[in-house]
Amino acid sequence: MTKHDIAELLPFYANGTLDAAERVRVETELATCAECSAELRELEGLGASLKAHAATAGPLPARILDDALARISAAVPPVAVTKLRTEWWGGPARYATAAALVVGFGAAAVAAYHAHEADLTRTTNGSAASDQVASTTVFRAGQMHQIHIDKSANNPVGAAVPPGSHDAPKSETTAAKQHRLAKKAHIDLLVRDVEASLKAVQSIVRGAGGEIVSLADSSPRTADAVHDAKLDVEVPADRLESTLDRIGTAGTVQNRAIEAEDVDATIVDEEARLRNLRREEIDLRTLMDKGGKVTDILTVQENLSEVRGQIEQLEAQHKNDVHRVATSTISIQMAEDRPNLTPAKPGPTARIDGAWHSGLNALTDTVISLLTTIAWCVAYAPIPLALAGITYAAIRLLRRRTASA
Amino acid sequence: MNDPDDRTLLERIAARDRVAFETFFRAHGPAVHRFVRDLVRDDGLAEELTSDVMVEVWRSAGKYGGRSRARTWVFGIAHHKAIDALRKRRATLVPLDDLLGAASDAIGPEEAALRADDRQRLDEALAALSADHRAVLELTYVEGFSQKDIAEIVNCPVATVKTRAFYAKQRLRDALATAEHRG
Repeated sequence: MTKHDIAELLPFYANGTLDAAERVRVETELATCAECSAELRELEGLGASLKAHAATAGPLPARILDDALARISAAVPPVAVTKLRTEWWGGPARYATAAALVVGFGAAAVAAYHAHEADLTRTTNGSAASDQVASTTVFRAGQMHQIHIDKSANNPVGAAVPPGSHDAPKSETTAAKQHRLAKKAHIDLLVRDVEASLKAVQSIVRGAGGEIVSLADSSPRTADAVHDAKLDVEVPADRLESTLDRIGTAGTVQNRAIEAEDVDATIVDEEARLRNLRREEIDLRTLMDKGGKVTDILTVQENLSEVRGQIEQLEAQHKNDVHRVATSTISIQMAEDRPNLTPAKPGPTARIDGAWHSGLNALTDTVISLLTTIAWCVAYAPIPLALAGITYAAIRLLRRRTASA
Repeated sequence: MNDPDDRTLLERIAARDRVAFETFFRAHGPAVHRFVRDLVRDDGLAEELTSDVMVEVWRSAGKYGGRSRARTWVFGIAHHKAIDALRKRRATLVPLDDLLGAASDAIGPEEAALRADDRQRLDEALAALSADHRAVLELTYVEGFSQKDIAEIVNCPVATVKTRAFYAKQRLRDALATAEHRG
């Protein structure tokens, strides 16, 4: 072992972490090498100085623990990952799964296309209008949890109940209540008079303490055109459901949806980052007040300006997120309900155009049918292929036996 | 706190036990804070990083496989976060060349540190080292980790750790000598 090798081991001899064999080697060398002994003494002195230097740091500020505890309270629970143990059949099984998924998605796409076609047909026949709420959907974005609407007598209409929450422990229910949600709603209305309904809706929104954010009213230019309007409003979050119900009375509700994004973790994180940045800003200001070299002051000034910029940006984001929680937005789409509107007789150009589009649609249908057939064939191909293989093998076996006989 | 205790705490943290998290924080937080502070040379950032490291422990406790000691695992997270923060900030408060201009072998680190009796001088000398050298000095002399543990924490071969520890000491000696001449 060279002196360099020993010198490399000495720091770990000094901190007492060498294994027995290395320790013996170092001690053998130390017994004969005065230079190595001097080096060791130097290292021991260095260790003592560094330890003394580290000890001057003082106790850990309590705010770090507070900050970490606040952050873990807002942390999303980890998603459990279960690995499927596979042996020799793992590879083929994966390919089979992939093939099944491809075929499944293909079939779903074809089914969706047909469902869409069927919807279009119903709409054309004028059967879409209904005096009932067509659908109410509530999604909770962010953590990808879907919330169901419970319309039973025990639960008021519109109250969101997470799946399985009836069995959940009380602490979890309390934690869920602490979540800050930014809610957005959408409602489609069929109304008899758009002008009158717009006024009614504006009055409802102002009555709930809300505001109109945007309004687009497209008056019809011809007698056949349908009058429609779109407006976006903001209302206090706790009045979202009641306001939606009242808006629904202004016409016939075609569709109603509420989307809720959990921004609790984002807000807690922003607050923690803001606290840290403000502390950093105070430290930098203290440093600048102390003075020093011009280059040092310039560096501190540059850092200070950067930190201030980050604080301002974060404050704006934080304000926006808090506002999104306190205020819910509703997007209202209303259209004039004219069930007796008779379509004008199309002219020759429109009829040719119609024929052209019908032709194109028929061609599309044919292509889709062809693709569907191919997809079915691909999906079921393994079965006839396997049968053919077995039959072929059986025939060959029989022939060989006959020949040998 | 011994390793079996740490493992039990990590298991409880993985099961979302906040009391276990607090215990673990109080056991390892001060050392982690000292380590990252010496690496990044910035008290505010060190506090932020300590909090980040502990939140990462909360998030990843379930992934701790027990291949290494829990303390080594936590210091690995701390090292990664501190180096990452340094890369982002690219902040070197004292230029290396300023302090390492005139190296001298006439004086050893022990003598220099003790004779000067000036924390500021050692502080300046440490600031003149690279983050890698500071990390290996801190882990060897203050935290008392073995070569193998340090290799795992800083994610490099054991041979590199030995070389770094050797050169880190030499650099510190040079930087102290320079600081001595300036002082």
